[in-house]
Amino acid sequence: MNTHLPPVQDAVARRPHRNAKGVGIRIDSVGRTYGERTVLAGVDLDVAAGEFVAVVGRSGCGKSTLLRLLAGLENPDAGDIRLDGRPHADEREALRIMFQDARLLPWKSVVNNVALGLAAGHKAARATALEALDEVGLADRADEWPTRLSGGQRQRVALARALVHKPRLLLLDEPLGALDALTRIEMHALIERLWREEGFTALLVTHDVSEAIALADRVLLIEGGRIALDQRVELPHPRERGGARFAALEEQVLRRVLQHPPAMGRSAAAPFGRWRWAA
Amino acid sequence: MTKKNSTPLHRPYDQILPWLVPLLLLALWQTGASSGWISTRIAPAPAAVLEAGWSLAASGELFRHLWASTQRAGAGFLIGGGIGLALGLLNGSFRVFERLLDTSVQMIRNVPHLALIPLVILWFGIDEEGKLFLVALGVFFPVYLNSFHGIRSVDPALVEMGRAYGLGNRSLFRHVILPGALPSILVGVRFALGWMWLTLIVAETIAASDGIGYMAMNAREFLQTDVVVLAIVLYAVLGKVADAAARWLERRLLRWNTAYA
Ligand SMILES: Nc1ncnc2c1ncn2[C@@H]1O[C@H](COP(=O)(O)OP(=O)(O)OP(=O)(O)O)[C@@H](O)[C@H]1O
Ligand SMILES: [Mg+2]
Repeated sequence: MNTHLPPVQDAVARRPHRNAKGVGIRIDSVGRTYGERTVLAGVDLDVAAGEFVAVVGRSGCGKSTLLRLLAGLENPDAGDIRLDGRPHADEREALRIMFQDARLLPWKSVVNNVALGLAAGHKAARATALEALDEVGLADRADEWPTRLSGGQRQRVALARALVHKPRLLLLDEPLGALDALTRIEMHALIERLWREEGFTALLVTHDVSEAIALADRVLLIEGGRIALDQRVELPHPRERGGARFAALEEQVLRRVLQHPPAMGRSAAAPFGRWRWAA
Repeated sequence: MTKKNSTPLHRPYDQILPWLVPLLLLALWQTGASSGWISTRIAPAPAAVLEAGWSLAASGELFRHLWASTQRAGAGFLIGGGIGLALGLLNGSFRVFERLLDTSVQMIRNVPHLALIPLVILWFGIDEEGKLFLVALGVFFPVYLNSFHGIRSVDPALVEMGRAYGLGNRSLFRHVILPGALPSILVGVRFALGWMWLTLIVAETIAASDGIGYMAMNAREFLQTDVVVLAIVLYAVLGKVADAAARWLERRLLRWNTAYA
């Protein structure tokens, strides 16, 4: 079913950064249906520990749904998801999700947002959070309210908040969607560096094929409820966007994405409208 | 007022301007009363009101009434507000409790609590409990409704984030739900303060042996208009003080919210 495109010539050898820190993902014929609408049906996917996978697809094809299933925010109607061979409930502490909107708590200072959910005592948590903020270059804004930050800065704080838990699986749902092109490129470099240093497994949902190719080892296309394309990207890092092979690959994937007409009837409603914190 | 907030009002002219009309009216009233245009039975001169205040303060009676009223207001507010807050948080957080209790609360809410006065007098006589009961009832509903609404309108995206970041029920409540509901809860507190004084005024004029309301009713019997007006002014001042306290609380607790900063 996976229509592999011909591999790019003189492919670079697989990079040696993969290590035991990442989580391996196995998704086995997973399906998800909302009422009448089947969003995902029979999704199979294996992701090696430490791999960087990008997920692309048309709006409403189920990218966020896949990520929410992986994050355990929803349960699949069919199939099975395993992280490192274990059921997913056992691994919740190993994964962190970064949402499209930063979702910072406006009533907590930047550093306390980052420290959210850290078990350590107040002092130790603060120190850890400050370290993470330093990683994303915002240590000097630690004691401000999040509302005082720009959109890109908020996303960086959200990234720090995800990383402070040392996740072994980082799920990114279009975290850069709202940012301008320059800030995005900066964030790409930041995410890539942190991924390299920390060795986590990363799943990035994006609308932007060139973003996917710039960052990922593999680009997945979701279409008709399944994974319609699984394209390896064997380009050396850091990737030159202007490069000929980059452009060729981008062109290939883009053409594949556009092959099929857009899915019908997308509803923009937030999927958690009925949701209640304690019921 | 913090210095930050009063930026455009530093010229004395700007600060005096809002007080000009009230001062003018006061002056007119004073001249009207002292020249005999206005009967002192209808409205005593401001100076007479001040004088009444002074002599009542000197005898210590003023403070006795003031203390009685403040105590009632405070106790009633704590009881009614406490129950309202607890019930609002409970019903907002757990669907079972909402199903069990909310309909009943909404039904009772439709009874104007001051309509219960005859019944309350039957139950409690003119004892302290009756007034506390009325004040607590008046305070309960605004606090309950706004706490409940506050909890229910906490951004679900933030709640989902909290869960995804490993917060248990307790920390979720402490770090996400309660702070998210706080602006609404404080709106409830401010409404409740209004109801608190209103209920107290009515309750004290009807059945009391001390307090500002009693002082006013007593003065009416002896045609001491100045004391009556003094009581009204005192209620206004107390209401203002309570409101200022609530605003201060809002500014302190909601510093993060740009609307209050
Ligand atoms: N809670 C829900 N209830 C009903 N339908 C839902 C719910 N969540 C998602 N859907 C539907 O599932 C489909 C896939 O949604 P999803 O959010 O996964 O799309 P997406 O690929 O992330 O799109 P986009 O790129 O626009 O974010 C959409 O048609 C959407 O309407
Ligand atoms: Mg989405």
